[in-house]
Amino acid sequence: MSALQTTSAAGAVDAPDGDALLKATGLTVSGPRGPIVLPLDLEVTAGRTLAIVGESGSGKSLTARALTGLLDSGLRADGELALRGREYSLARADVPWRALRGSAVSLLLQDPFTSLSPVHRCGRQIADTVRATAKRAGRRLARAAVDAIVAERLTEVGLDPAVAGRYPHELSGGMRQRVAIAAAIAGDPDVLIADEPTTALDASTQAEVLAVIAELQRRRGLGVILISHDLSVVRGVADDVIVLYAGGVAEVGPAAAVLDTAVHPYTARLLAADPPLDERLEALPGIPGSVPSPGERPAGCAFAPRCALATELCSTQAPPLDLVATGARAACHHSSQPLTIDARRPGADPAPVGADDEPLLSVRGLRARHGAVTVVDDVDVQVHASEIVGIVGESGSGKTTVARCVAGLHTDFDGEILLAGAPLARRLAARDPRAVQVVFQDPYSALNPRMTIGDTLREALAVGRRPASHLPELLASVGLPPHYERKRPRDLSGGERQRVALARALAPQPRVLICDESVSALDVSVQAQILGLIHSIRDEFGIAVLFISHDLAVVRQVCDSVVVLRRGRAVESGAVGAVLGAPQHEYTRALLAASRPLDAREGPS
Amino acid sequence: MTATTTLSATSAPGATSVGRWGLIITGSIVGLALFLAAFGGLLAPDALVQDILLGATPPGTPGHPLGTDALGRDVLALLIAGTGSAVAGPVVIALGSMLIGILVGTVAGYVSGPLDFTVGRVTDLLLALPVVVVAIVIAGIFGSGYWVTVAMLILLFAPSDIRLVRAAVIEQSARPYIESARMLRLSSARIMFRHILPNVSPIIVTNALVNLAIAIVALSSLSFLGVGVAPDAADWGRQLTDGRSLLLANPAAALAPALAIVVVACAVNLLGDAVAARSMSRGGRA
Repeated sequence: MSALQTTSAAGAVDAPDGDALLKATGLTVSGPRGPIVLPLDLEVTAGRTLAIVGESGSGKSLTARALTGLLDSGLRADGELALRGREYSLARADVPWRALRGSAVSLLLQDPFTSLSPVHRCGRQIADTVRATAKRAGRRLARAAVDAIVAERLTEVGLDPAVAGRYPHELSGGMRQRVAIAAAIAGDPDVLIADEPTTALDASTQAEVLAVIAELQRRRGLGVILISHDLSVVRGVADDVIVLYAGGVAEVGPAAAVLDTAVHPYTARLLAADPPLDERLEALPGIPGSVPSPGERPAGCAFAPRCALATELCSTQAPPLDLVATGARAACHHSSQPLTIDARRPGADPAPVGADDEPLLSVRGLRARHGAVTVVDDVDVQVHASEIVGIVGESGSGKTTVARCVAGLHTDFDGEILLAGAPLARRLAARDPRAVQVVFQDPYSALNPRMTIGDTLREALAVGRRPASHLPELLASVGLPPHYERKRPRDLSGGERQRVALARALAPQPRVLICDESVSALDVSVQAQILGLIHSIRDEFGIAVLFISHDLAVVRQVCDSVVVLRRGRAVESGAVGAVLGAPQHEYTRALLAASRPLDAREGPS
Repeated sequence: MTATTTLSATSAPGATSVGRWGLIITGSIVGLALFLAAFGGLLAPDALVQDILLGATPPGTPGHPLGTDALGRDVLALLIAGTGSAVAGPVVIALGSMLIGILVGTVAGYVSGPLDFTVGRVTDLLLALPVVVVAIVIAGIFGSGYWVTVAMLILLFAPSDIRLVRAAVIEQSARPYIESARMLRLSSARIMFRHILPNVSPIIVTNALVNLAIAIVALSSLSFLGVGVAPDAADWGRQLTDGRSLLLANPAAALAPALAIVVVACAVNLLGDAVAARSMSRGGRA
């Protein structure tokens, strides 16, 4: 039986489940400009995991904050909340959060680099919660007793108790997140709400942190609410899944029903857009358009403007959340009809590009330093015209430094960087802008906020000695209509900004394009669009692309060949199908294993 | 990654530290001060006319709503005529130090290296000097004309402006849009003044308003101490000095200019706060 008791949009409540640790009914969040999260029902029982999945603007993080009483001022939660068998009204704000937070329900945040205080030792940060919980229970703990509990919590998350004496900056990201988990469970909560707990971490560390949470859950009978944008994190961890889109529930039900036999077109397309690790698709099917920004939810079904199945009914009337054949509930007018989404067509891994020809870009024996530290050590990379070469590795592997050396943004290196056989000047000042251009990661700071898109692109066209009349053509090459010329960055979605950044890089008609984690910050549905765009640009202009990424599944879909970096050294390189399909090096295998969903692995160790 | 961006739409629009009415009131005060600074001489042409026989009279004396000072000069007329030297100089100081800050700070921040190092040490040195004390010493050496004092205050205000602009420019320089501009090999001047400067301008404008408030107080303090204005000139600081001894005969002679200094300085400060809050809520990350 499902641990979720859901209501239809009309509000008919199912019989309440007796053993729910946390249950919210009709939960909404409103901002100054109207509702952001529409009525949502959820429930989590002991030992089970409820995943709330959604892209940016879905309201998933606001839901987490509403459930812990941590909404920013200006936002208002509404609805009923049952915790520890007591009913509270969020609207009346009568929830005794001080007594419940940390002991009934606890929140684990995304970024372990900022969620721990840098000036306090780790033990103190856990001890604070231990003491506060004891004080509420009317007990005063002796110092030794607190220390003992802190040591116990650290052991529980797989850390040496000696970590209590260390400062957060002395620990790795994964260890910090374990400390944050230890602090979150310090008050023995019934329910742990984890808001994107692994997003800021490397793939291998992600797996560890998920395993720690799973182990705690098993041992303590903890109810877990996992908030994530990443379907591969959710798969294999969640018992139940809620899919949110633009603040409303699209589909909800048992994980198997929602993730394997999706009924809502959004769920289905979101799953289809998630790049697979083990095969190359002919094309990764993205979802056209972009996620509406909070407070700009379209009338009717919010997904209708992006949905291939949408009819007139969809754009006028919001669909009810109805039970469907799979056992899930879906908010779709067409949920009774079989869903026909273009299936993902497997493609062949690309044939090697001009392996015998002279490469267009050739990096030989690159050795780069940051101050006294050598971050790249003897790396070779070759990129031919029309070839996309991936550089993969974890954070600290030196992949971005390689890109910055090639780009001319990092000059402290030895070794050769040749473009068509001729050495590229080390310093940017001595280079032709038509040699190498870059698209960076963060779409929000990629464009000058004070300039219109047209001004930004005309400036770049002038650099390539192209007339301003090429502007409509340039916009069209990245899939944007001509009137975008007059827009400013703040009017654009993340995906659209990244398209403009791509257009700016292409304007001088460079021979080499570097994509430095260019799709990492984008929603999955938009990421697929941009990857498709990079392919079409390569085909159209015959440009050589150096594609830096931490995401092996993305690399599998977009690259022709790949170089695997580990601590500044290349451990394996070759055609993408060979390296990711039949890895030779142990490290590549470890990276691949860490990138798979938890249920596809041998289980948490 | 994408998860946190949903929280950014939460700050209530228009929520500044002073509120809408506060903005209207402070704006009106600053506007009135600027108007009187420009036209005060025309409105009160007889401010300096003395009437020794009348001497100090209390507020409410016929024809003298705020009374007269020891020399029989009308306190209200003096106050109006004095707005010029009380406000004009500080405006020039704020603008002048802002201009130096922009030019030196932007270049030092963008072109790092020996130039930046030199600028940094020189500003450190200047920042270590106490403004008013140095002003008095320099006045003792070079004389104490009004514009000499203003020029000196510009030089003393500039280091903090340089520091501020430099820090803001360094912060912007590391952003992808600036690195992209460098990849396009745009000229340094273009990157500095077309790309970076517009994006740090809210900070610069806010700082100039704060400087204006400080300069009003600093310049009035100096004229109170006798630096910067002739003994018989119409000036708030001077008026305050002269009025000190008349507290019993005509309290307004000292209190009116004191109040004027406080009110205008506070209004400018609050206006600076409002401008800062507004440009932050509008610009944000976008």
